[in-house]
Formats: sequence, C-alpha cells, structure tokens
Amino acid sequence: MGGMTETEYLVEMRGITKRFPNVVANKNASFTLRKGEVHALLGENGAGKSTLMNVLYGIYRPDAGEIRVYGKRVEIRGPKDALKLGIGMVHQQFKLIPVHTVAENVILGLKEMGFVLDGRKINQRLGEVISRYGWKISPDARVWQLSAGEKQQVELLKALFRNVKILILDEPTSVLTPQETVVLFQTLRTMASQGIGIVLITHKLEEVFSVSDRVTVMRGGETVATKHVRDTNIEELVELMIGRPLLKIAPARQLSREKAVLRVSDLVVLNDKGLEAVRNVSFQLFGGEILGIAGVSGNGQQELLEAIAGLRKPVSGKIFLDGVDITDKHPWEIISAGVSYIPAEALRYSAAEMTVAENLVLKAYRNPEFSKKILINWKNVAKKSMDLVQSFRIVTPSINNKVGNLSGGNVQRLVLARELGTYPKLRVVLAAYPTRGLDIASTEAIHQEFIKKSEQGVSILLVSEELEELVALCDRIMVMHRGEVVGVLERGMYDIEEIGLMMTGVKKMEAKA
Amino acid sequence: MLSLKLERRGEVSRKFSAAVSGFFLLAGLFFASIIFELLGVSAVETFSRVVSVFTSQSSLMQAILRGLPIGFAALGLCLAFKMNFWNIGAEGQMYMGMTAATGVVLLHAYYGYIPDFLVFPAMVAAGFLAGGLYCTLPAFLKVKFGVNEILPTLMLNYIAMHFVNFLITGPWRDPRGFGFPLSIIFPPYARMETFLGHANFIGLPAAITAAALIFGLLQKTSIGFEMRVLGQNFEAARYAGVKIGRTLLTGSMVAGGLAGIGGLVIVSGMLGRLRPGAPAGYGYTAIIIAFLAFLNPWLAVPAAIFFGGLLVAGDVIQATLNLPFAAVQIFQSTIFLMIIVGEFFKRYKIRVVR
Repeated sequence: MGGMTETEYLVEMRGITKRFPNVVANKNASFTLRKGEVHALLGENGAGKSTLMNVLYGIYRPDAGEIRVYGKRVEIRGPKDALKLGIGMVHQQFKLIPVHTVAENVILGLKEMGFVLDGRKINQRLGEVISRYGWKISPDARVWQLSAGEKQQVELLKALFRNVKILILDEPTSVLTPQETVVLFQTLRTMASQGIGIVLITHKLEEVFSVSDRVTVMRGGETVATKHVRDTNIEELVELMIGRPLLKIAPARQLSREKAVLRVSDLVVLNDKGLEAVRNVSFQLFGGEILGIAGVSGNGQQELLEAIAGLRKPVSGKIFLDGVDITDKHPWEIISAGVSYIPAEALRYSAAEMTVAENLVLKAYRNPEFSKKILINWKNVAKKSMDLVQSFRIVTPSINNKVGNLSGGNVQRLVLARELGTYPKLRVVLAAYPTRGLDIASTEAIHQEFIKKSEQGVSILLVSEELEELVALCDRIMVMHRGEVVGVLERGMYDIEEIGLMMTGVKKMEAKA
Repeated sequence: MLSLKLERRGEVSRKFSAAVSGFFLLAGLFFASIIFELLGVSAVETFSRVVSVFTSQSSLMQAILRGLPIGFAALGLCLAFKMNFWNIGAEGQMYMGMTAATGVVLLHAYYGYIPDFLVFPAMVAAGFLAGGLYCTLPAFLKVKFGVNEILPTLMLNYIAMHFVNFLITGPWRDPRGFGFPLSIIFPPYARMETFLGHANFIGLPAAITAAALIFGLLQKTSIGFEMRVLGQNFEAARYAGVKIGRTLLTGSMVAGGLAGIGGLVIVSGMLGRLRPGAPAGYGYTAIIIAFLAFLNPWLAVPAAIFFGGLLVAGDVIQATLNLPFAAVQIFQSTIFLMIIVGEFFKRYKIRVVR
C-alpha cells in the first residue's frame, strides 16, 4: 500500500444533500478519498451510494454541500469537468462500442492523440499498459468478442489513458466470474500502489475485506460510518448497513429422495441463435429440495428453465412433473400444474404500462379466487395485491401505479411476490438469479421465503452466480458449463474454489486432482 | 452552453392532462386562423360558422350521423391497438360490412325468405360477421405464420374496394338505375331512420352501448385482461400462459365486426343504398380518432362526433365562404396535429440545461 499518507485527501465531500421528487437520495453525506487507497462505499440498494458518486462525477448537481478535490473547492458541472479534474467512473453498464476495436474505444474522444492517428504507436502504448497489469486483451480485438471481465479492462484502460487520479467503480464485480474478480482486485491494488484513489461501490461484504483499505457505510442516504477495514468485521458492517443483526440461515436437513417431483432426461434445447444451449441435460428434483445450478450466466441455464416452463421448445428429451410428461405443453398447463418461474429479466416479462395489481395477478387471474366465469373480481385482486405488497415489501405509492415507474429492485420483489405468492398449489419454483440487484435485507427475506416454501414441500430449482447464496441454501449444487452438466455436489461437500473451477468447464475429478 | 433536454414526466393528473389538451386545441385554432386570414377570409367569421355546426340542431344531427360510422370503427380499433394488433384495414372491413348488409337486403328483396322486421337485425349480424371475419384473416396469418398484420390489413382494403366495385357494376346493379353503378334503394324496413324517426336515435345509443361493452370487455373480463397483456408485452403474455392465437382471433373478430357495423351505418343510415367509394376514408380517419381518444372506448365516440362536426363545418365553410376544399383540410389537420403535439407534452417536458 505504497504512497498512502494520512493527510493527503484526493476528495473531500461534506454535507452533500441531493433531493429527487418524493425522495431524498443523499442526506448530509460525507466522504473522503485518500491517495493510493481502495475505499469501499458499502450499502444496501437505494442507500444512496451511486447518487453520491454520481454527484462527484458531475452527473447530478447537489442541492447542498461542498466538494473539494486536491484540497480545492470545486463545482463539477458534468462528466467533462470531472475528467478534467482526473476523476473517472466505470459504470455497471459498459459504455463501449462493440464493433470497434479495443484501441479505437480507448482513444475515442482523446484530444492529445492529434487528428491523424498513428495506429502502431497507440498499440505499443496500450500493449505496455496491458502487460503491466497482466491482462490478456489485444488492442486489435473487437469489443464484442470480449468477455465481461475483458470489457471491464477496456474501461479501466480508458481511465488509465486519461490519467485518472480518482477512479469510481460502480458494482464492478456484478458481471464477473470468481476468477475474473480475483484479476480485477489485483488490478485495483496495482492501480492504488501507483497513487490512484479508488472508490469501490458495492453491497458485497467480502469485497470490502478482500481488496479495500477503508470502508464508508451508507444507509438511507446518510453516511453512517467510515472505518479502517482492519479495525472492523462482518457483523459490525452488516449492522451498520441494515441497522440490525442478520438472521442465520437454516442448517442442513434430511430429505427423502424417493420420488422425483421434476425429472428432466436428455434434454436438448436451442438458444435464439439456433445453437445448442442445453446439451443432453438430465437431473431429478425431489420434493422440498433446493437444487442449485451454478454457472457463469449464458451457459444454458436460462434456456433450461424456459424449456421447463414451456416457453422454449426442446429439440429432444423429456420433462416430467410428478411423473406426467409436460414436454411441449402450453405454458398455461404448466402454470396450472404448479410450476412458477422467476425470470432473470423481471421487466422483460412484465406489462410495464399496467398496474402493480394487474402484474401481481398476471398468472393468477384465472384462479376462481379472482375470476368468476369470464369476469375478473378486481376487489379480490386488490385485497390480495395489498397483502403481497406488504409482505414482500414492494415500495409503491399504490397498487394502481404503473410497474414501469417502479425501481428495478421493486419490480424484482413484485415478480417474487407473484411467483411465490399467487399459485394455489405451488409444486416447483424455477428461479433465475432471484436476488440479483437486491440488497441484503431483501435477499435475506427471499432466502427465508425459499426455505419456508421448501419446508412446505415445494421444490426449488435455483440458478445463481452467487456461490455463497447457493452454498447457503441448496441441498445439492449442479454446475453447468456450455450447456452441459459438469457435475453435481452434495451438501456438506461444497468447496467454493472447486465450484468456481467447474464453472469454467473443469470436470469434478480433474478439479479434485 | 444552453441546451434543451427532454425529460419524461411521471404520472400526470387528469386536470393537468385536460389543461394541456385545451391549450393545444386553442393553439390549433390560432394557427388555423392565421391560415384563414392569409386566405383573405375573416377567422372570426369562419370560427363562428364552425361553432354554429355544434349549436344548431340540424347540423349537429348531421355531425353525429357522420361521426357514427367513424365511431364504431374507432371503437374496434381501440381494442385492436390495445392488443398491439396494428389493423390499418378498418376501411376494408367497413366495405365488407356494407356489402354483407346490402346482400341481406337484396336477398330479401329478390327472394323474401324472412319477414320484414327480421331484415334489419339480420343486416346487423351479417355486417358484424363480415367485417369481423375479414379482420381475422390477417390475424390468422399472424398467428399461424408470424406475418406482420400491417401490410395484409392495408392491402385487403383494396381488395374489398374492388370487390364492391365488381358487385355494384355487375350482379348487384339496380336494373332500373339507368346503368349507374348503384344498388337498389333500400326499402324502409332496412333503413335506420324508419325505427325512431332518425338514424341517430338508434345509432347513438348503440354506439354508446358498444363503447360500454368494449370498456367492460377490456377492463372487467379475463379475455380482455389477456388482450391488454398481449398488447403490452408479447413475451409477458406467453410467460403468463395466455393462449395467444385464441386471444388475437377473438379480438380481431370484435374489432373488424365493429368496423363492419360502421359500414352498415353508412349504407343503412346515411346513403340508403350501396355505392362505390362509400366509406370515403372513414376507416382511415378512425385510426386517428382511436389515438385521439387515447384508445379509451368512452372517448372514441365523442371524438368521432367532434370529427363529424368538423366534416360538416368543412362543407359549410366551403359553400358559404367560397374556400377551396384544401383549406378545409388544412384547418382539420391543424387542429388534429396540435392535439397530438399536446399528447407529447403530457409525456415529456422540455428543460433548459446549462
């Protein structure tokens, strides 16, 4: 941690307040960044982390408060001003042009390159930086060919080429595999050792401990504490974040594995491009079991769930529910049989211009509870919606608000409420990344809900990239890579390292060796 | 640097919405008056004549009668567009409704199978069925082969038009009509005005009832719910287990059927016979009316009557002030354009940013 001095502040933000219509995103928030440190900005969704950093990057203008950069009071009117001050930001959604090369993306908008571009010189300079950080990208590669982790490296290259002294990363690991995360953290440490101050926006605690020097915790728009990482621990940070200690997750349990609720055999499914996304997958899901599917997203998990839900026609293979063949059945019959599906992209499967209540009964409107013959009983729908909004803590002005006006986390909670709360006889829950984008408190609530459902005999097929989540919840974990099942692990034999390797396609035996 | 930035508004209140519409309606009148002044006629004079259409009883009845066929077709389009079924074929569906209704009259006149009092109900049923089936054809193509409905619905308009031309110049031509391409004049029991003295007296209540039924269908029934979900997001509808083929075919049947009823009003309420080119573009106008009504069935009929009034006003201005027809069209489109601009400002606001 070279170059770290106690007195040298790159950034001081004091008393920052930012109001939006109906909500105060930052209340008297303060934040400091030192030269050469990695500073985690930790908090739940909606705690105001991104808002505070967007103020620093000039995207928002604060309603009150002052910002000092290198000790001088500044007014940052936009990202242009921020870049002039040496402040760079890597957003969750990469701002790259896919059809251009790495080099072209990096130099885009750089003035000092001159009007005529010297390709060789640029590539040479890029090559130096790339090798200094131990990356493997080529300056001539097209961005669309790169993995998420490599695209992120291009974003970092852009920042380095602009001589950024203050670098903000917004939830950078959310798109990365565990291996890519390790590489990113090494990169961040190298950058910090060269004097760059790094802000790491995150809601993951392990990131605080594996890479950061200091941590500032935000809750409800306020900065509640700033600590040296060496002086704190997980329990303290969780309490600061959610304002109370965390509940413990249920321990291992005994399940009878006599009759499979869901049986998939030799399933082959194509993706939208017509390529095999699921290859000869077979497995059984037992009553009350939580079966995890680990894998980097895009390895056939989504196509598998869509095939089971009846939304994608398998090329070959069979799917049985309680012994009945449901392959090629209409989605409605599969829903009626008690199979719910929590899709990865909540909004893609929502009617955005329709109300919260209407979206909550998107599948249940045919239940006798909500419709008599052809008439929908909107009174009962409203009553049920009110219950669900409360129990799943969906934040909305009313049940008649349009879903498109809700925040992402609330749309996600709405989907969960519908899929877990409106089936008369729920048998199987197909869940794709159900807690993606949710904060700790909501994630915890969803986990508790899953455990409660499984105790009631509901089987859950849980697709996730969060290995901690899978390890904590699942009775078995099945690892998928390129559409194939690499292996299945039993509870009690989980090894995160091993699962991470299997996710890259290394077979179980080889991983052990 | 000053620049303009568009910002989406959240949900807006009804009051605000009405105020914006009113403002832009006035703006439309203002621009129209500039055009009138440039043409050398007094804007005040012109507007007083437009207003008089809505205040004098006889011309108001005219306005309603002209608005009714548009209103029925627009009601159907409200439903179709809510389903995201881009039916450009209301014109053709009106033609088919007219044809079927006329067919019933001719059958009865030549063969007389059914008692007179059943002729009109049979015309209504035939008009609805013909328009509806004509609209399910492109819907079927969409369901079965994934054909986008816009071109088929549009092209079926021309087929319907030429079909009517064929009938009217051939088998259905009035033998005593001196060779003019017209059908026989409908007997009284096949005409809407016979029942209560004026076509409006059954047409208007029927249109309002139809609006109520469409509203009820969309808001209160499960199939209407399915139609709205389908219109919102195809993926979501599939995901929710909606039987998409059945929903689309039902919806297009009702939508086309209402356009067919519009066609029936034209032959039975306005013209009293079938004649070429009779829908006069009402099926296309209905598209605009459906959008002016924000696809809200309750607003479709009033909007259509308002437009009917503008049509009558156009005739009046043309005749009394000696204005060219083009000027009347400019007047009508200016008003509509400004109302549509108003819609934009209900959704977005413009902010000046430094």
